[in-house]
Amino acid sequence: MGSSIDELPAARATGAPRAEPLLVLEDIDKSFGITQALSDADLTVYPGEVVGLVGPNGAGKSTLMKVITGVLEPTDGSITVRGRRVARVSQREIVELGIACAYQDLSLCTNLSVYENFALLNMDHGAWSPRGWRKEQQGQAAALLERYFPGHGIDVTEPVSALSLAGRQMVEICKALMDDHLGLLVLDEPTSALSANRAEQLHAAVREVSAAGVAVIYISHKLDEIQKVCDRIVLLKNGTDVGEFDPGRITPDDLVGLMGGGARALADASSRGEPADGPVLVSASGYGVPGLTDIDLEVRAGEIVGIAGLVGSGQPTLLKSIFARRRGRVGTLRVGGQVSYVSGDRAGEGVFPLWSILDNIVVSSLRGVTRLGLVDRKRSATLAGSWFDRLRFRAESVNSPITSLSGGNQQKALIARGLASGADVILLNDPTAGVDIETKQEIYGLLSEARAAGKAVVFHSTEDAEMEICDRVYVMREGRVTSELSGADVSVDSVVRASFAEVERTATEGRRRSAMSRLLQSRLVLPISAMLVIFALNAAVNPNVLTLSSARLLLGTAVPLVFAALGQMFVVTAGDIDMGNGYSIGLANVLVAFVLSGSLVVGLVSLVLLVAAYALMGALIHLRQLPAIVVTLGAQFVWLGVALIVSPVPGGQSPQWLSTLYRTQVLVLPMPAVLCLVAAAGGWFVVFRWKYGMVLRGVGNNRDAIERSGWSFLLGKMTNYALAGLMVVLAGMSFTAVTYAADVNTSLAFCMMSIATVIVGGCEMSGGVVEPIGVVAAAVAMSLITSLLVFIKVDSNLQMAVTGLIIISVLATRLITRRRASVAA
Amino acid sequence: MTRAWEFVRRYPAIWPILGSLVLFLLIGMLNGSVGSTILFTAARLSTFALLLALGQMVVVTSGDGAIDLSQIYILTLCAYVSTTLMDTSPVLGFVLAVLIGGVCGLVNAFVNVYLKVPAMVTTLATGYIFFTLVLIGSSRMKVLPNAGFVALVTRDVGPVSAQTIIVALVGVVLAVVLYRTPYGKQLHAVGQNRTAATLAGIPTGRVVTTAFVIGGMLSGLAGVLAAAVMGGAFQDMGLSYFLPSVAAAFVGGTAASGGRSSVLGVSFGALMMTLMSSFLNTAESMYHLPSGIKQLVMGAFLVSILILSVAGVRTRRRQVGMVTA
Repeated sequence: MGSSIDELPAARATGAPRAEPLLVLEDIDKSFGITQALSDADLTVYPGEVVGLVGPNGAGKSTLMKVITGVLEPTDGSITVRGRRVARVSQREIVELGIACAYQDLSLCTNLSVYENFALLNMDHGAWSPRGWRKEQQGQAAALLERYFPGHGIDVTEPVSALSLAGRQMVEICKALMDDHLGLLVLDEPTSALSANRAEQLHAAVREVSAAGVAVIYISHKLDEIQKVCDRIVLLKNGTDVGEFDPGRITPDDLVGLMGGGARALADASSRGEPADGPVLVSASGYGVPGLTDIDLEVRAGEIVGIAGLVGSGQPTLLKSIFARRRGRVGTLRVGGQVSYVSGDRAGEGVFPLWSILDNIVVSSLRGVTRLGLVDRKRSATLAGSWFDRLRFRAESVNSPITSLSGGNQQKALIARGLASGADVILLNDPTAGVDIETKQEIYGLLSEARAAGKAVVFHSTEDAEMEICDRVYVMREGRVTSELSGADVSVDSVVRASFAEVERTATEGRRRSAMSRLLQSRLVLPISAMLVIFALNAAVNPNVLTLSSARLLLGTAVPLVFAALGQMFVVTAGDIDMGNGYSIGLANVLVAFVLSGSLVVGLVSLVLLVAAYALMGALIHLRQLPAIVVTLGAQFVWLGVALIVSPVPGGQSPQWLSTLYRTQVLVLPMPAVLCLVAAAGGWFVVFRWKYGMVLRGVGNNRDAIERSGWSFLLGKMTNYALAGLMVVLAGMSFTAVTYAADVNTSLAFCMMSIATVIVGGCEMSGGVVEPIGVVAAAVAMSLITSLLVFIKVDSNLQMAVTGLIIISVLATRLITRRRASVAA
Repeated sequence: MTRAWEFVRRYPAIWPILGSLVLFLLIGMLNGSVGSTILFTAARLSTFALLLALGQMVVVTSGDGAIDLSQIYILTLCAYVSTTLMDTSPVLGFVLAVLIGGVCGLVNAFVNVYLKVPAMVTTLATGYIFFTLVLIGSSRMKVLPNAGFVALVTRDVGPVSAQTIIVALVGVVLAVVLYRTPYGKQLHAVGQNRTAATLAGIPTGRVVTTAFVIGGMLSGLAGVLAAAVMGGAFQDMGLSYFLPSVAAAFVGGTAASGGRSSVLGVSFGALMMTLMSSFLNTAESMYHLPSGIKQLVMGAFLVSILILSVAGVRTRRRQVGMVTA
């Protein structure tokens, strides 16, 4: 924000007079440690033009876009926004230019509904909105989707997690297009999951907005698309822009050639021709699993077999199936010999980040380096050292941490791991993603060596050009192998042609669920039916339960758990867990019975401080990235300490007004019942109806999405914790009203009980997916279980075991039903 | 300065060792004399928290949010089993009690790994069940420990308690298992990234199961020793060890996200928690502090040492994300 403002002549000699450029990037450098992602990259964007940005993987396209969208600050270089020099693109420039971006790694909160994801972006940040804003937002969201993707078939009230990949991508794009002041739109691989006709709709939208004066940067690997929609093509290579082309004058082939074609050179040199005649190591005929249909293939020792096709045609699924069947034969897929798997998703599926290069290489060969049951250090060092020397890692020694390596070098270590394990079949899933040309050549070399050594190499790449190093190529389309290329047929052209062979897609987008199945899958079914069944059992055993006074008694003891569980729920909403609420409720209990009963003002202040302490705890957990489970465990010492300082011995009394209030009756309903209803309604309102409830839930799901939408993640987390603190206070109050006194140690059981209740209530411990009404119902059910067991004279000792068994069976059942639902979908 | 920082970051065991030293000196200051007795006593007192903390460390190291909240109930259950069975035969009682701890761990692993219930919830629920077994069985089980075994465990060898020797042996064996055997490597790999571990050919489910079993056996061993030292088994015997053991596990350099452990660090973590507790007890009685101060200081200390020791690891993680992205 505080950048100096220098006037700079912005006009560029481009022949024809053009409008002032929106954005000029000059000599941009960006490095991460020793990895230079961008060096001297230039890019100028004028209003109303569509710039196609192409380049091989790892060329720095995504990094450049992150500089433009303000996610990253360049290490060096100059940025000029409408003639004004700035140090980095800050929120101010984003608003001024109207920069919006559809990210490749989708920036949606999957637990929020489609319209809420839109609303996060286009609603003001005030605490309240006029009534009916949800209806309005739903209408706008549906209209927006309909405008750009007619016939999209997306129900905007469904959570994003229920959408197909294509559906999500459409939502992501519409989210970017929604900006009223849109001036610069960045589309990063927008069509990777879209069918051809959806891609057409997107291209129409791009033309429409650019005609209205919006600048568009269109990044894609699909060069035919680039040619169709772009006014100008910029080629990025190794972090530098290496040329600008007129889409009317350049062919996709030329572009591929310019992008590197490194693979081709090597392919010529490789000894292709004579078909491999080694034993068949992998074979399948008519093999099918979810995602794969009728696969026929055969891989022999001593050959490299490519798996090609458009992204999302099932290639990784095929590789993982082969890997999963490594212990013999299942169905019609047969795998002979040891299999190793090398993933190109290094952070997600490959690297062990806490380890050295040595350990990362040796981990798959432990059997070979073990002597007398112990890992032999000398043997490990010899094994890893030989690969280290062969592969010429750019690192100090084989004992350097793997994270000191660049992405490409990490990949070499992973391939070394696969080869060192002595496997007969090597599966490679896009191993060259984000790897520079030189390292790629080394990787091709390694694969050739593996072939020469008689291994069967199965190689999947998202870069078609790389298929040229293969002896044979299977091209996949929608989970099927649609063609096999071999010999001279293995070329980029034929791979591309085969990939697009049948463009017609079976429509699988957006399936509406029936009202009935929606109801059955609702998270409320279990807790509410549990509550009703247990209540009915109670009544059957002891008909007195049906009278008003005993209902008051039963519910009266349930209320503290209701609030305790809601408090736990708010922490779970943020994706954390509160292991210390036993003592914090005890503290609230003590504060109410000793302080509040004496002085209303001092008491209230002390309780407000407790809420504030919870908010601070949330802030601490976020700012220092601490594990919540440990912090809350530690914090419980603090709660206990404060409680003991306030009152070293149990005692105190419930304030008169509190006891009176607890005994009153609203119409025919006793107060505890009213409190349960109010708690359920209030929780439901805060989480699902309040505007900020979207942020509260988003916080537990996708931090990036919240921050990119302009909301403060910190504030969201703190609010979740503050609400949890408020519930703790209410739990402490109602507990005092029930027990008439305070003892910090009696409320300890609330910790475990509240966690159990939250789970039975239908919440997901992973965060963001919660169900306040279910939690309240579950809390009532849990305390009714206790009285039921008393009524039927079950040993009170068994109550804990029953609770434990209920939790396990609920979760196990939920898992099974989910699995069934996902198979059916 | 930066090198010192780098060193501390690589060896998180430094924190609890420094903490133990500081608390040792503080206790010495209060007492007016610094004697090794303080250390040996603290080492003896820390036995049970330490065994639990080591078990917790093994489980947490398997990653994916694994944690064992049922430990203290396993401890109690095994304590009762040992006192009952040692009547027949001390050796049989000892072995069976520890094995039952392992079976409890196996139950946890079955629910967590095969029913896919999150570990925290699993062990919360199984903990209820184990405790119920204690509640039901305690009336029919024998409470007093075997006299011979008690004499063996409470004996001193020079200034060192037999308990400390047992724990030290367990620590050495565990360190060999974790840092020198293929299983140890696999456990740390699984903890860092389960997907990557599976794809690297590691039998992830088996590794996690073994971690739970080891954790259960250590809890069982703690129970057997505790019953002997405390003069018998009782229902709430595990309760007071829950917090110190969890705290020791994390303060000692166990990564909450898994994949990193330190037998040395966790051992000193347990020692530090014990020293802190006796320091606060001494201070409390000498200066007549209000009783809550002790817990307050303990909580604040715990959270701040976490901030110091955990923050370093996290920064490194973030860099990984950047580079591999």
